[in-house]
Amino acid sequence: MNFIYALPMVASLIGALLCLVRIEKFEETISIIAALTSSIFSFVIVFLPNISNGFFFIDGISKIMLIVISMVYVLTAIFSTTFLKYIEEPLFQKRFYYLLLDLFTFSMFFSVSINNLGLVWVGIEATTVTSALLVAVENDEPSIEATWRYIIIVSSGLVVSFISNIFIYASTGTLEISKLLSISSFSGLLPLGAMMAIVGYGTKAGIFPMHTWLPDVHGKAPAPVSAIFSGVLLPVALYVIIRVIQFTPVSYVKTFALVLGFMTVIVAASLMAVQTNYKRLFAYSTMENMGMALIGISLGGYALLGVIILILSHAFAKSSTFFLSGNLLSRYKTTKIDKVTGVMKRMPSTAYTLLFSAMAITGMPPFGTFFGEIMIILVLLSAVPVGWTILLMAFLALAFISVNFKVGKMIFSDSEGKNMERKRVGTIIPIIDTVLSVAIVFFIPWIEKVIK
Amino acid sequence: MKDFFMLIGFSEILLVIFMQWEVYVTKIVKTFSVSSYLIALFLFYLSFIQHSYIVLVLAILTAVIRGFFIPYFILKRLSRDPWRERESTPITGTASSIIISLMIGIFTYVLYEATMSSFVTISLGALPIALIFQGAFLVISRRSAFIQLVGYMVMENAAFLFTGYLFPDLPFSVEAGTVLDLIGIVMISGVIMRMRENSAKKSDDFDELRG
Repeated sequence: MNFIYALPMVASLIGALLCLVRIEKFEETISIIAALTSSIFSFVIVFLPNISNGFFFIDGISKIMLIVISMVYVLTAIFSTTFLKYIEEPLFQKRFYYLLLDLFTFSMFFSVSINNLGLVWVGIEATTVTSALLVAVENDEPSIEATWRYIIIVSSGLVVSFISNIFIYASTGTLEISKLLSISSFSGLLPLGAMMAIVGYGTKAGIFPMHTWLPDVHGKAPAPVSAIFSGVLLPVALYVIIRVIQFTPVSYVKTFALVLGFMTVIVAASLMAVQTNYKRLFAYSTMENMGMALIGISLGGYALLGVIILILSHAFAKSSTFFLSGNLLSRYKTTKIDKVTGVMKRMPSTAYTLLFSAMAITGMPPFGTFFGEIMIILVLLSAVPVGWTILLMAFLALAFISVNFKVGKMIFSDSEGKNMERKRVGTIIPIIDTVLSVAIVFFIPWIEKVIK
Repeated sequence: MKDFFMLIGFSEILLVIFMQWEVYVTKIVKTFSVSSYLIALFLFYLSFIQHSYIVLVLAILTAVIRGFFIPYFILKRLSRDPWRERESTPITGTASSIIISLMIGIFTYVLYEATMSSFVTISLGALPIALIFQGAFLVISRRSAFIQLVGYMVMENAAFLFTGYLFPDLPFSVEAGTVLDLIGIVMISGVIMRMRENSAKKSDDFDELRG
């Protein structure tokens, strides 16, 4: 019976292996089938009891993570079928792109399902190995540079998390998550290990001040890769931080995470205000959302429910914005905000979807991100002086204005030229994504039940 | 056991300081190979003392992958572009590197004594921590991607040495997974470095990475 819990992983792994078969368009079809299959299995797992044995640790949070990974995987695999056509001289053949995409997703499924913090580290490191070349698909100097920065910064950060594992093991005598969650005594090394884990995995999650790889990678990676990075890779890294904070009952560790989250929101919002490149703008928006999620993780309780809702809704909304940014790039051939004009006239479907998805990523009602952020802020109000909460809200407002003003400028500015929209899967997938980021709201009671 | 760890630890520090001085990439890679063999030797000794087959397997894995395969892979890459063997313009000059390396050693000792020595019950715990900082310095003080990669692997080796000494009973799957991941990182980095120098379309527009 336990093998059912491995099926999302198995589906993506089989998909990856079948990508090696040399039949025209086979890799696209097989990857979409693998993604759909893993999605179905992820939904089945939600209705199965939680599991904790020598290999798996799957509770409500893991189940939600499996769903969000598999759904973004499906949408990314489908969107990639159209987007890859616009890359003039790709780094490698299409089947290697899908092979890496499937392996990348496999390593994320592995990371959120496994009951050993050491193997979770292996899984997170494997996400770097499998995703690095995906960033460099465009095969030009800036994308190679961004890839190298990604490898070296994230891997160095993960060395810190490896040391954190050593400290956690030294303090508790185990790395099994289920055992760590029930420990009653530990040595003083545990808080130090936990803080190092926050720094190490925070590097992968784009937390300040280890975030510098993030805007480069999101700015240069192809749109579907940016979407899956932003939508699920960063939350998978945060998932590990959730676990670490859950088993570390030390207040200053939580304060440390709270401060880092706070700083991340402030820095990201400030940088969003001066962005001239729409892909980097959305990258900093991801950083801001991850900062909010880290604040929620540090607070726990209802704020953690807020984090889960924020992660879910953000995953769909942000993948939508990145898919749309790919559509813009393929037509306008630039990522400069001031050179993209009159989107409403020239690409009306993209314009409407971009307008709504920009609202979604900045936490506007009725999107799920709004409810997630409100839950976090309400708990924050009771945990820190009101002035700090007001300061945080001021920066959230700055982020909101920056994104919506700049997106509005691209959409509503005057422009000469004819309609250049192509009605195809590339315009439909972002609409589905944006609708899902609203639909999350109706499932909040169910999500609460699952994670309890 | 403690004496042997001290011997290996100090040798590792000396080897990294040598790497900081060196400008020839091949020599740095070979030095990294020697430092990996030393860690393998330490693990081999540990397996002998503790009669542990798992640690013995780990020692063999370390020697084969970190000591032989990874340096061999990098040197093979380098042999295709002999002009890249010497890094003529490191970010930090040789003299400054030596001073900074020594300061890192002192800083690490003070940091360890102030924060961790009361929790980690070994008197030489500062050694691997110093190695990690030295590796990080190698990453930030050089422009060559090959040396940056070696710097990252020095950090990995230090963490590995730390684990081997303190917790040889850490689950084998974790340690083996770490070694395998390292292979992946090195292979991917090899591809990226090659593209960085050769195959990628040249572009003057780095504006996309600004802001």
